[in-house]
Amino acid sequence: MFDKILIANRGEIALRVLKACKEMGIKSVAVYSEPDKELKHVKMADEAICIGPAQSNKSYLNIPALISACEVSGADAVHPGVGFLAENDHFAEQVVASGYTFIGPDPESIRIMGNKISAKEMATSAGLQCVPGSGRVSATNRETLNIASTIGYPLLIKAAAGGGGKGIKIVREESELLSSMRITQQEALNSFGSDEIYLEKFIENPRHIEVQVIADNFGNALHFFERDCSIQRKNQKIIEEAPAWDLNETKKEELFKLCINCLKKMKYKGVGTFEFLYKDDEFYFIEMNTRLQVEHTVTEMITNTDLVKLQIETASGQELELKQNDIKKYGHAIECRINAEDPETFIPSPGKVTEYDPPGGIGIRVDSHLYAGYTVSPYYDALIAKICAFSFDRKSAIKRMSFALEEFFVDGISTNKDLQEIIMKEPNFFEGDISINYLKDVLNIN
Amino acid sequence: MDIRKVKKLIEMLEDSNLNEIEIKEGEESVKLVKAGSNLSQTLVAQPAVQLPEENSISKEESQKVEKDSKSEETKKSSGKEIKSPMVGTFYGAPNPGAETFVKVGDTVNEGDVLCIIEAMKMMNEVKADFSGTIIEIIPEDAEPVEFGQTLFILN
Repeated sequence: MFDKILIANRGEIALRVLKACKEMGIKSVAVYSEPDKELKHVKMADEAICIGPAQSNKSYLNIPALISACEVSGADAVHPGVGFLAENDHFAEQVVASGYTFIGPDPESIRIMGNKISAKEMATSAGLQCVPGSGRVSATNRETLNIASTIGYPLLIKAAAGGGGKGIKIVREESELLSSMRITQQEALNSFGSDEIYLEKFIENPRHIEVQVIADNFGNALHFFERDCSIQRKNQKIIEEAPAWDLNETKKEELFKLCINCLKKMKYKGVGTFEFLYKDDEFYFIEMNTRLQVEHTVTEMITNTDLVKLQIETASGQELELKQNDIKKYGHAIECRINAEDPETFIPSPGKVTEYDPPGGIGIRVDSHLYAGYTVSPYYDALIAKICAFSFDRKSAIKRMSFALEEFFVDGISTNKDLQEIIMKEPNFFEGDISINYLKDVLNIN
Repeated sequence: MDIRKVKKLIEMLEDSNLNEIEIKEGEESVKLVKAGSNLSQTLVAQPAVQLPEENSISKEESQKVEKDSKSEETKKSSGKEIKSPMVGTFYGAPNPGAETFVKVGDTVNEGDVLCIIEAMKMMNEVKADFSGTIIEIIPEDAEPVEFGQTLFILN
């Protein structure tokens, strides 16, 4: 087992990893940028090292600074958390080359699944169905218009190096295709360092269903059922649930088998999530996240497991003792992401939190790094808390969440709490009649 | 004695209204005294002072660490600070056994190499970005330093 883990992240996820370390008796090293000195996990870690100024590229994305922090602290493993360098194969490579363990899959797995085109090829080879689409295309290639016609309109242009819902553009008519492609290529180059793009059929009003998996270094692979993350704003998830209700059970079981098959094919190690669009009883693979997810919480609640501990254990070389039959689900869990943002404009709302009263009681879990006196800085993403409600079924979980949101109070910054409350009380959501376009179509929110 | 643990205690003392903190664990103890405080007031820290579990106060006699002008936590020497541009290990000399780049009292010009910070087996020179006379050199040789940590004070 590791002696000391360096947590290469910040905010609530860093606190989550810290908790697992504390419970496992593993020493923790928190690295932080200058404005993040007052982060909760920084105060509570065994050691803390300032690695750079506010800008992410000089701190949390600064690979030499992170490796150097491992050196001076004597950490033996690095947990990359969520976002930042968690899916950066260069980082994983350098961590390993420098003699530390990267708590995640091999760089090769990250590379394959990091490029959306190769990810689809891998998924297809494992028997998973993908959204009908193309390989790499270029605006200057004459074949492109034909390829697009075969797929059919409306279609999506996607950046191969994109992720997290970014680098996606919709095209409704052939006349818009080439210019949209040129724009997307330029944006992709700016945002992700690569102008590689591909086309994908646009599926109308699907649900977003994902499967939580884990594999160890011995070829054992397991799933922890699925989640529904349909409620999104601009392709960013704001509500996640486990399990997903009303899916075609046969197809779902088959899906789980194929995901496991894919893991074994890749010799994958660690936790991961396969993401799909679900429409008319069909699952279409869109991408795989080769890391812990923000919404791992709801899966933990319905299966009563600690995914972060399992992740650390498997990374340290322990064999998974759990068998698939051991993993049972019970009840329903919902997570509402609370962002520090203006409720109407959605513009980030940094500032000093003067009051923080999280909800509690039966069936409530809150993952947050907030405390009264903490200042939310403008440099990083707006996620400040995850409120989870668990109950025996979906509707009672929704009611439980409703009250928890009422109970929840933050002063000093604006949040999207009211929007979450509105959704919890909205009849379509309550009945489960949702899709990834829910916010736009039902609540008219863009 | 782990210097970093002591530094954390110094920080805690700084932030509090106490003048002294003394922590005893079995045979070992550490006593910190704020600079300029009335030493006849001895306040013994209660268990409210949280130390990490792994706090290894080594099996030497109790040490008394005074917050004097050598500490980096207070602005004792006034002057312009040169801060570390990165996290790594501080070396005052170009190689082990060689003479240090600078000593207290030296006058340096903008662009002069003051020290080396080593990270990932690479030696990075830290240069003066203004001229002045060295009043203080804060880190010891081979000490780990953080981004933004004060290395030199010049006037």
